[in-house]
Amino acid sequence: MIKKALLSIAALLCSIALFAQDSEWGGVKGTVVNRAGRAPIADAELTLSQAGETVNTAISDESGKFLMENLPNGMYDLTIKAPGFLDAHVNVTIEGYVKDLIFVGMVVEQVVTDVDDSNFAEFDMDDSGFEDAPSILFGSNDPFTNIASFGFSSIRFKNRGYTNESQDVYLSGVRMNDAITGYSPYSLWSGLNEAMRSKETTVGNEVSDYGYGGYNGVTNIHAVPSSVRPGWRFSALTNSALYRLRLMATYASGELDNGWSYAFNVSARIGGNDWVKGVFYRNFAYYAGVEKKFGDIHRLSLVTFAAPGQRGAQNASTQEVYDMMGDNMYNSNWGYQDGRVRNARVRKTFEPVTILKYTANPTDNLEASATLLWRTGKNGYTAMDWYDAPDPRPDYYRNLPSYFWMDDPDYGRQNAEKAAWAQYAWEENIPEYAHLNWDRLYNVNWNNLDANGMARSKYVIEERRVDQNDINVGANVKWNAHKYFTLTGGATYKWNRTEYYKKLDDLLGGDYYVNIDQFAERDFASNQAMVQNDLDYYLEHGAAQILSQGDKYGYDYYANVRKAEIWANGALDLGGFKANLALQAGYEKFWREGLVRKGLFPGLNDDGTDFIVGDKNLTTYETVNGELVPITSKGNSAVADFFTYSAKLGLQYHFAGGHRIYANGGYFNDAPTFAQSFISPRTRNSLVPNLETMKTVSADLNYQYSNNGYNVRVTGFYTKIMDQTDMMSFYDDSQNSFTNFAMSGIDQRHMGVELGFKAPLPVQGLSVEGALSWGEYIYTSTPRMTQTVDNSAEVVHDNAPVPYWASHPVYKKYTDDLGTVIYETDADGNYIVEKNQKHYVPSTPQLAANLGFNYRTNSYWFFEIDAQYFANSYLDMNPGYRTDLAVNGPDGVCTPVEVEYMAAQEKFDPVFLLNASIGKSWYIDRKYNFGFSLNLQNITNNKWVKTGGYEQTRLIDSESAERYYRFDSKYFYMQGFNYMLNLYFRF
Amino acid sequence: MKKIYTIMLAAALFAGCEEFQPVVNQGKYPDPEPQKVYTDEDFGKFTPISEVKQMYVDNGNKPYDITKNCVIKGQIISSDKTGNIYKSFYIQDETAGIEIKIGKSGLYNDYKVGQWIYVDCTDLTVGAYEGMIQIGYKDETGEYETAYLEHSAIIDNHVFKGAMADEKELITPAVISGEQIYDEKYLGTLVTIEDCKYCNLVFLIGYIDPNIVDEAKKKSNENRFFLDDEDGTNWGIDTWAMSESLFKEHVDNGDFDNVQMNDGVTVGERKHLIKPQPYTMNQYFEMPGLSGNRRYLQVRSSGYARWSDVKIPQAVLDGTATATFTGVLTKFEAEMQFTLIDLSGVKKADGSPWYNENNEEIK
Repeated sequence: MIKKALLSIAALLCSIALFAQDSEWGGVKGTVVNRAGRAPIADAELTLSQAGETVNTAISDESGKFLMENLPNGMYDLTIKAPGFLDAHVNVTIEGYVKDLIFVGMVVEQVVTDVDDSNFAEFDMDDSGFEDAPSILFGSNDPFTNIASFGFSSIRFKNRGYTNESQDVYLSGVRMNDAITGYSPYSLWSGLNEAMRSKETTVGNEVSDYGYGGYNGVTNIHAVPSSVRPGWRFSALTNSALYRLRLMATYASGELDNGWSYAFNVSARIGGNDWVKGVFYRNFAYYAGVEKKFGDIHRLSLVTFAAPGQRGAQNASTQEVYDMMGDNMYNSNWGYQDGRVRNARVRKTFEPVTILKYTANPTDNLEASATLLWRTGKNGYTAMDWYDAPDPRPDYYRNLPSYFWMDDPDYGRQNAEKAAWAQYAWEENIPEYAHLNWDRLYNVNWNNLDANGMARSKYVIEERRVDQNDINVGANVKWNAHKYFTLTGGATYKWNRTEYYKKLDDLLGGDYYVNIDQFAERDFASNQAMVQNDLDYYLEHGAAQILSQGDKYGYDYYANVRKAEIWANGALDLGGFKANLALQAGYEKFWREGLVRKGLFPGLNDDGTDFIVGDKNLTTYETVNGELVPITSKGNSAVADFFTYSAKLGLQYHFAGGHRIYANGGYFNDAPTFAQSFISPRTRNSLVPNLETMKTVSADLNYQYSNNGYNVRVTGFYTKIMDQTDMMSFYDDSQNSFTNFAMSGIDQRHMGVELGFKAPLPVQGLSVEGALSWGEYIYTSTPRMTQTVDNSAEVVHDNAPVPYWASHPVYKKYTDDLGTVIYETDADGNYIVEKNQKHYVPSTPQLAANLGFNYRTNSYWFFEIDAQYFANSYLDMNPGYRTDLAVNGPDGVCTPVEVEYMAAQEKFDPVFLLNASIGKSWYIDRKYNFGFSLNLQNITNNKWVKTGGYEQTRLIDSESAERYYRFDSKYFYMQGFNYMLNLYFRF
Repeated sequence: MKKIYTIMLAAALFAGCEEFQPVVNQGKYPDPEPQKVYTDEDFGKFTPISEVKQMYVDNGNKPYDITKNCVIKGQIISSDKTGNIYKSFYIQDETAGIEIKIGKSGLYNDYKVGQWIYVDCTDLTVGAYEGMIQIGYKDETGEYETAYLEHSAIIDNHVFKGAMADEKELITPAVISGEQIYDEKYLGTLVTIEDCKYCNLVFLIGYIDPNIVDEAKKKSNENRFFLDDEDGTNWGIDTWAMSESLFKEHVDNGDFDNVQMNDGVTVGERKHLIKPQPYTMNQYFEMPGLSGNRRYLQVRSSGYARWSDVKIPQAVLDGTATATFTGVLTKFEAEMQFTLIDLSGVKKADGSPWYNENNEEIK
């Protein structure tokens, strides 16, 4: 290693001799030192780059010295990396001579890395039963992103208000976003923080070397063994937010002299947390990889990893329930069984990923790689299922006081005594009413004996499985064609087949369950064929399938996705001025393949005739593009296919002294996802009407200053997203089934500013940093909605407009002496509209700010304190409440009161938060490193901060029969004070 | 190195047990205890059901709030499994039978036919609906004489489950005939009425739009129509009741087109406006040994019953055979109604069933 370094330095020295006279050329030299104590750092990797393209590299020698020569005049970024130290960046201007930087100081790394990205990325990670990803994928030198990625996660901040799907995540050069939903599948490698630490990130519309990306950045995780930090590393972490204990071990060899590198990373995360009962982790993770470099050109790596385990999930409840329990963290998913907490909703996953990657550097200016990536395994989520028995969920609305008493008599709920009983049951926290009553469920099952004395379960646990098989091939090329021009590009192909089905997880004491659709049975009781989940089985055996534990039942279908993409990015670099143009084209198709024939939607016989059982014709029809087509459940659906294309343009200019102005813009034409495209994929092949590509126009303008430890970025962004489709599925009590809202034609506009800065303060080791994201993310169109119920061919709303989706009118009114609100009318008797209240993109603060101070001492102490403010966050809307039907009420008459009640969107209260961190590390013999970090979040212990939730779908009739009322919304709250303590040891 | 492994192993073991047990799903939980089976010893003495019913009568046929200590013990004789009885069950002792208005669906899962039940009536109300005396919760809204118990906390404080009755304790239906049918003591009890003859008459209140919330509008002459005995026909309805889809079939077939509505228009003229829903209806049968209007037994079945669309046996419809009914004797005002629990309660003259367990007619 050192030999090599010396050789390259020697080579450089030779070149100095040759070019020293030429004033068009120059160089840079210096000594890499530890900022604390100025001890030289050997083996530091120095990379000199211009516009992100590497121009030269060097490695510091044993006395920390380095030298780069033969460089054309211009401005450069010098990046210095050394194991154990934070990456350092220096702006260098070459002006015809070898510039001596004298000392390049580096800061000991662990104190920062151990409290930022990885550990915190886990804090916000999925499975509060809420969302499956961190707010922003961490890891970059961008001052805003660095703060937002972990500092904003507890509030569920979404970068620029964009959805999770818009965030492109690559692994070894392959786009990993879920083929079916588009989500970034962070949970695939959760717990493998060390192996996945090395990554590169772009922001907004920027193009990455690894993929074209969208308008919300690209993160590429290298994941190859040579990118894992060499050495041994052990850590033990405890926290109050997610799990009690995480143990992790990592080893990486680094690149050995024989060209081999290997690495492994294992971890276990176990236990519950301080806030939500029933939520637990029992997760493990492993990563193993080998890599071999053949000569100077070829490199081959093989990596496999997975994060198998189980996690209990949290559920949202209404404020009424939270208030009675005196706890906004109440979780209705669990109950006591034999005195132990049992959660009905458990995520069970085991999805191994295997990556084979080949990289070639045939010439200095050409790098090419090809990756084969395979994701497989199982992903399950358990839930209660029941057959012709009362709803077992404790917070079912009929168990609540509000079901018996509402102050307003128009609700027709005037039973004070019953309400008092219900309240008593909750407030006394009587386990059988306030939580799942497992004892009763078992007893019901035991006592439901059939004629043969066998117990037919009425309550069971089902496991909803989503088992993916995802094969990707990808190729990337980067070619420095000319000193002014670089071409990058790639091609990818994705083959995905995902099986969706239910598995009987637990019979809860019974002997069997029966594969019929209970809701259909209620409506079509007289026809046994129609209630079958598997009609073919019924017709063959004369009876519905009897199910044992582990059997598939309910629904079973494949989601098939094929996706191909090519892209290229040409970058022009004329010293201070840079420009790039990127183009992308793709083809995507998907279809549903039903594996069972459902009694409600049998489709046609093989010979094309209607499906008739007994004397009943079971075939039902729907209208597609003006034609009547049978509704089918088995076999292939129509294929939805889309051509996609997009273009990006970037311009930037560097000024002397570390100033940079740059702008990026793009036009995107993206396909909807499979998950957004079927109206009721569990039951039928029907596609959402009006499926089309989503169009996005996005632009940002940025200013950056980076010099002498200062780092500032200011960005203004504007994005318009058009023709989105969305598919929402809710469990509806009244239907005892899933109800599906398929929306199309949703337009959004996101605009705002983003600011990030980091600056040293006069006191040695003290710096200030801040981030601000302030935007307006709104809906701008009247979408259309098709509402269906899983178990009926009936279409509740057929492509109906949702007029109150983007906004609702607020009327002019006053309150008279008696306290009555009077709505004013004009001369014609029409109500006067005062303004139109906009509706906002939900579940993220549209204003987020952070101001922090951190202080590092020469003795490796680290302190940080952050103050945060979040505001303008809104509740997710249910389109059903924004229709004329819901707003106008049963009488069809639209009144201001109804509009302002039904169409309004809830805005969450703003919040101020305080977080702090402290850390210290010790070196023993400069070889062993031991340390800790302690992080305290939400120090003021705010327990009333809503982070999200949803509106229910049902309407309440009024006594007056003139209007409807809403069901209460359900909320997720942020946890109160949390701590995390991490101890680590490495050598 | 070894030391580190040992520490990690120890920590993992520690995590695997002890303090992590309650929150870590081990995949398998021990079965819970069977629920407590209440016995007579858990209560003092029992009030006969007839006495509770008498409280209502003694109160001038007005709802009576029971304040004194009063526990009744009875055997469950009905089930809501097939949906003809909904949200309540009937219990019976040696003296009488009575409906307990529980107010939850799927009650048969927790309360079995033939199971002993103890009802602590203290703080409950005995009231009546159109002549049928019931036990329920006090209706604060005053809309009905009693309300459903409804909330589990109320139910569990008043209704206690005992053992399953053994074979010799099991209540058998009283076979009644003639004027016995009008004997109040059989109301709410399990009875058998033999040899009933189909009358080709039905009673049903239909709606053009059943979803109108405003009661007055719903019951208006423009919205409501009757299929009743005065017409001397069953309007082609040969089933026990009508599900939504069957009702729609009849409408589509024009079966009700000639029904005259009170505003002078026929149903046929409003047919296109009709919103179907399941309909509860009465099929009329003639009881032997009675004459005039007193001979009618109205077998009332819910459109939500699983067997609502099952045809009355053809021979019974033809008048060539009779039906023997076993179920709960009920009444609506002065008229006797009969509530089947399921179709096993419909038998041939020889005592064999008319239907098999899949509700298919046995020829």
